[in-house]
Amino acid sequence: MRWRASLIVVGCVVFLLAAVLVGPQLEGAQGQFIVWQLRVPRVLVGMLVGATLALVGAVFQALFQNPLATSDTVGTTAGATVGALFALALDSSRTVQGLPLVTVCAFAGALAGSLLVASFASSRTAHSSDVLLAGIAVTLATSALASGIQYIADSRALFAATQWSLGQLPQVGYRGVLLLAPLCALSCALLLLLTRSLQAFALGEELAHSQGVNVPRLRLFALALGSLGVASCVAWCGPIAFVGLVVPHLVRRLLGGSYRVLLPMSLCVGAALLVTCDAFARLIVPGRELPVGIVTAALGAPTLVFLVARGRR
Amino acid sequence: MNQLEVVDLSVRLGERTLLDRVTLRVAPGEFVALIGPNGAGKTTLLKAALGLRRPTSGSVRVAGESVEGLDSRARAARIAWLPQHIRAEEPISSLESVAAARYRFSESHADSRRAAERALARVGATQYAERRVTDLSGGERQRVAFACLVAQESDILLFDEPANHLDPAQQLDVYRLLGELWREERSVLCINHDVNLLHQVGDAARVRVVGLRAGRLEFDARFDAPALPEHIGNLFGVEMESVQGSDQRFIMPRSRRSP
Repeated sequence: MRWRASLIVVGCVVFLLAAVLVGPQLEGAQGQFIVWQLRVPRVLVGMLVGATLALVGAVFQALFQNPLATSDTVGTTAGATVGALFALALDSSRTVQGLPLVTVCAFAGALAGSLLVASFASSRTAHSSDVLLAGIAVTLATSALASGIQYIADSRALFAATQWSLGQLPQVGYRGVLLLAPLCALSCALLLLLTRSLQAFALGEELAHSQGVNVPRLRLFALALGSLGVASCVAWCGPIAFVGLVVPHLVRRLLGGSYRVLLPMSLCVGAALLVTCDAFARLIVPGRELPVGIVTAALGAPTLVFLVARGRR
Repeated sequence: MNQLEVVDLSVRLGERTLLDRVTLRVAPGEFVALIGPNGAGKTTLLKAALGLRRPTSGSVRVAGESVEGLDSRARAARIAWLPQHIRAEEPISSLESVAAARYRFSESHADSRRAAERALARVGATQYAERRVTDLSGGERQRVAFACLVAQESDILLFDEPANHLDPAQQLDVYRLLGELWREERSVLCINHDVNLLHQVGDAARVRVVGLRAGRLEFDARFDAPALPEHIGNLFGVEMESVQGSDQRFIMPRSRRSP
């Protein structure tokens, strides 16, 4: 098991390095510029986003004891979508303190959506399945709101909204990396500290309670921390499908379900997977870039089906 | 001081009354068997004792303190349970899941694993320490959950039908182990469907049997009380018969009482 985990880590590093190098052959000053000013920061953003989405997915699956739970099911992504749509309908070129208005609004929306669900989750009597239902209710309500905004928005804003909703790694340079890194690092580091209490959840929420886990507090912490990380990712990149869902399942199949392995390995594999998918998205259509969200969805869906089918045997 | 003290406890769920002013004390070192028909409120009583169900009225005190006011870890040090159904969705190894039951202790993961190994050995489950809980049968999973309870090392142990779904040999094992834990100066409150299994805990004459029906306490008698078969018969609406074995008395259902 240990050598297998090491092998996967080495594989992840290889893929990350390869992602910087693949692409048209670049030489001279221009090549230097493209590699160091465009590709490296983009790979760094990809690593941060992929790692955060995958870890939060793994934590939420553990927390809700539901293999389908991700940040998409607790209102985070839906809130971000409404925020982004609002900003795009208003004026897509506006900035706040040098940050794009879309990013700021998406971040605020994501936090608002998750906060609604989190306030419900902190109630002592709520069960995990109730919290998940609250998340779905918030998601439905916000998508109704999003449809309303789309109805009154003009066609340019609608096009921009469609682009945003596909999910892509933006060219944000090192400044973007610096803005994203502290929030993602904080969220991931603190979530990893919850490993022990999440492990107690593996045989059910009520048993975990009787073993001394403060269930409402754990739920609130994990939801707040996870939403903070995911909100900052979604704010910059839009919703990137399937990373949070597929990566934990992939790691679980390869290495088994001890959270002491599952959580850190989801982090590694998530980072490598998103960056690799992005490199793929750069190359697959010559001269054009696909949004990485399309690639993750196209690869993620069949992978998930394959994993489930293999697991059943 | 009473170890577990349930006073005037009522739990209502909408129109339904699950528990109706139940008062039950389990003294330190006492073994109480809780019996009653399905839906009598037995599991609700255990869950209320753990702070999993909030009482509509009345109180639950554990070692003198209200269970709701206790810090989670302090509560886990005093009271633990073996649930009737154990969920296992996560493919985690048995050893890891028993190690996780040491949550209340501030100790390294290596220490937790050592304690988990001892607990698994004690319940006779060492052979599936490395197997995933999702791959275990119901009986095996029950045994792993029992190891979790042992590893938690609490003073008051609650059991929800620990012999459920087990074969006769395993049923005897489980009750013998229950008796062992009891004699280590613990208090036990155990939901039970077959009082004859109580012989296995040893010193069964000291066991108290409490009957619960429709949320109310119906009787509270010692295991060797002559009137126990009559009490049990009234509780379930059946005629019970006592059969004297070579060294113990067996209580069997004979026929259904006409309504």
